[in-house]
Amino acid sequence: MILISHSVRAQQPGCGATLKGILTSGVEQLPLPGATVFIRETGHGTVTDSLGQYQLTYLCPGRYTVEYRYVSFTTFVQRIQLPADSVRNVTLTSESISLNPVNVTEHRSEAQQLLQNQVSLSGSALDQTRGQSLGESLKALAGMYSIQTGPSISKPVIHGLYSNRIIVLNNGVRQEDQQWGTEHAPQVDQFLASRLTVIKGAASIRFGSDAIGGVILIEPRAMPSEPGIQGEVNVVGATNGRMGVTSGLLEGAFGRKLAGLSWRIQGTIKRSGYVQTPHYFLENTSYHENNVSGDIHYEHKSLGVELFYSRVDTKVGLFTGAQVGSLADLYTAIGRPEPLSQPEFSYDLQRPYQDVQHELLKLRTYWHSQGGGTLTATVARQQNTRREYDFVSFSGSLNPELYLQLITHTADLVWEHRTIKTARNGNWSGSAGFNGITQGNVRQYLFLIPNFRNYGAGVFAIERYAIGPWTLEGGIRYDYRWLRAYFLDEATKQPYNTTHVWQNVNGSLGAAYQIRDDLTLTANLSTAWRAPNVADLYSNGLHQSAVAYERGNPNLKPEQAYNGNLVLAYAGKRLSGEIGAYNNLIHNYIYLKPDSVPLIRQRGAFPAYSYTQVRATFRGIDASLTYKLSNRLTITTKNSLLFARNQTDNDYLVFIPPNRSDNSLRYDWNTTNQTRLSNLYVSVSGLYVAQQRRVPEVMARQENGQLIFTGDFAPPPPAYFLVGAEFGFTTQVGKQTMNVILTGSNLMNVAYRDYLNRFRYFADEPGRNISLKVKLPFSISQRS
Amino acid sequence: MKSIKQSLWAVLAMSVLAGACKKDEQNVTPTDDNEAITTATLQLVNKANASEVVTATIENLNTSADFSKATLTLKANTTYSGTIQLVNKTKTPTIDVSAEIKSEQNEHLLVYTPSVATLLTVTITDKDTNPSPGPYPVGLTFDLKTNAVATGKLNVRLRHQPGAKNGTQTPGTDDLNTDFSVVIQ
Repeated sequence: MILISHSVRAQQPGCGATLKGILTSGVEQLPLPGATVFIRETGHGTVTDSLGQYQLTYLCPGRYTVEYRYVSFTTFVQRIQLPADSVRNVTLTSESISLNPVNVTEHRSEAQQLLQNQVSLSGSALDQTRGQSLGESLKALAGMYSIQTGPSISKPVIHGLYSNRIIVLNNGVRQEDQQWGTEHAPQVDQFLASRLTVIKGAASIRFGSDAIGGVILIEPRAMPSEPGIQGEVNVVGATNGRMGVTSGLLEGAFGRKLAGLSWRIQGTIKRSGYVQTPHYFLENTSYHENNVSGDIHYEHKSLGVELFYSRVDTKVGLFTGAQVGSLADLYTAIGRPEPLSQPEFSYDLQRPYQDVQHELLKLRTYWHSQGGGTLTATVARQQNTRREYDFVSFSGSLNPELYLQLITHTADLVWEHRTIKTARNGNWSGSAGFNGITQGNVRQYLFLIPNFRNYGAGVFAIERYAIGPWTLEGGIRYDYRWLRAYFLDEATKQPYNTTHVWQNVNGSLGAAYQIRDDLTLTANLSTAWRAPNVADLYSNGLHQSAVAYERGNPNLKPEQAYNGNLVLAYAGKRLSGEIGAYNNLIHNYIYLKPDSVPLIRQRGAFPAYSYTQVRATFRGIDASLTYKLSNRLTITTKNSLLFARNQTDNDYLVFIPPNRSDNSLRYDWNTTNQTRLSNLYVSVSGLYVAQQRRVPEVMARQENGQLIFTGDFAPPPPAYFLVGAEFGFTTQVGKQTMNVILTGSNLMNVAYRDYLNRFRYFADEPGRNISLKVKLPFSISQRS
Repeated sequence: MKSIKQSLWAVLAMSVLAGACKKDEQNVTPTDDNEAITTATLQLVNKANASEVVTATIENLNTSADFSKATLTLKANTTYSGTIQLVNKTKTPTIDVSAEIKSEQNEHLLVYTPSVATLLTVTITDKDTNPSPGPYPVGLTFDLKTNAVATGKLNVRLRHQPGAKNGTQTPGTDDLNTDFSVVIQ
């Protein structure tokens, strides 16, 4: 019955219709557990539970195409009308009886195999975020925040943790793009995703070490299986920054002799100019992004091969007003109510900027055996090239100040065993696997992190037992990490290196109990670890953009996390939602501690920071509730509370997301009998973000005539309240359906600053923004 | 079908292995700072007696600065004509930063500030070529007039003010901010 909790977790602001039923096998009429149910139009999907039951909630009234898939059974596709057809019991026929080739299920979200606290964005909720960065999109989910560097760089934060403590799995491959840097945004193309899933809490067992904060899965839509060529065009335009995004996708599958072969090509272009705050433009906050990807997939009988390539190319302008040469400049800039330079709008993109390319080449093969389960092997190569250009004053240099190239090879082998039935009608399911990784990093110009080579290997096993209202899950993992960093002695010009080796064993335990049909309680206990990364160990340099001299600490020990969470999910007729509480205790939590003595360099005094370890706790509550006031009117509230503490020094931690509450009211027109317009809705929302009061004390003192702050450079900004509105519909354009969404954010044009924006010292957040998103799926030919 | 699969494997094998065997990370390149200023020298010539030359130098400004030769020993109530030399010794050959500033004078300003206003007075004698309401001072050459016997510091700041130079030190960012000791006897 876990399924119900899954579908509740996959909740999103939507409508109130539900689709549920039971999947059985044709001859024996036995339930089919682990089968997928997928709605083509919305991207909604779920997996059947141990009794073959499924449930999809928060669907809007309308006509849908539903696919029912199960390994070695013929896929069944059905047109339904909601809310009329809210119960659909489906019988699938075995492949051996039918004559069609095998269609292997690939819709199932990898995360849904885990009994972990998770939320996801897909379908219309994902469409609403199109054109935004990953960090901004995920803010729509409770428990999520983002850490920003100006308006153009945004990184996701899960329960107060970010950067290296989160794993981003892009297309099944662990994304490695120098993610230790607070101003290094994930290099992914959002338009490739049909689902974004966030696993909140330590999820190291399945996905590898480092995932102390959680995992973000970016999953593409399934490859086409029916012969023909189809595609989709997405266009987004926004008033603020005069942003334009175009993304196109073309895919097809072959029939007859080439049956089983499918392909996809996709590309995205994004351009944005200076972002506007309520009172001024932010100079040089332009943004360029060009992405391409291609995918070839072949499956024959129970064997499949996929080759995937993607390239993400971004050029990100940094706000000029945040460029400071020294601490003195910083305090002068903080003291100014508005930036000194307030130019007119422009698409110009000059120094300072970041120029980053990320390439991924992946080969995945899988084999479904009747008796043995599924074996998947993935090898991938990623190349991340990062150039950071600072202001140049007098040298006229065209070189970057920082060049880093990271090449990552990963190899993963996962075996998912066949579901085993016990005598008492229980179900055993599980998986085991190996993850291998090696990375080489090369730097040039200024020193921030050294060259390095690392090797990592991990083995894991996860087993789940479901019986009656109970589901129990246990996992164990062993990891080995080896790191060698290469340096040059500046005095003797002699190279030297240092080596670290770490290993660790972690485990997890989870249980879900279905109290009633509509009420599920899930509890998880897990441990996770993170070996110090090369930036923690060996940073040694002036971080100009952070106005900080950062010193690594080669003696750091690995972080060890103990994570517990409890989630109560309810899916009633009117009220539905979930409330989760978590407690993450991290031993040896690594953070930058301010040194008492500032460092003097040519540009003056800089505050110095050293990497230090403390015992830290992150505790909080996420609550999302939806209440249907009537069939058409729905109220949704999403709340995130977080209390983080440095237990060792009995103090607070810096850069912890403040509490927030996101509330919306949505009206859906009942368009069941209309053909021209469907899924018509309008919503208004109010986002309240509290002032962060749990911060280390901000203190100022005089030292050598310089004003030195400790804790932070300025106190957290006050609370803010933003009003948003949205209007959307689906309409027929010829034979195709076009989806249109009009969104307005910060409609009252409030001037505010966000505590987790590292440029909050210098300027306000963006003002009012109206964006129009159009999605047009099309089909070129029905038959090949 | 076989051939497709085989070619897929071949493409992968080539592309994965192409990068896997390189050991690029073992060739470490030295730190290279485009905009380092390692050395700042003030040279003061007594206007009444050209043979009387005082110099003070700060070395290693970009790392742990050496202030051992950074003291200006001056006469009371005397006017000196001064120049500043800024050098980047991290590059070979060394770079004359003062000359680069001269060529970019329309967006740079040197600011000289005594620790106590009564210590001495600095008057910048060179001008840039900014259009009206310019030209504005640059600060590569200046007159320095000492007052009564005292000790203190002279702060030197190089301001980078692209597109914003207005004759004041407010716009822009610091390229250099350091102190020379001053002994007036």
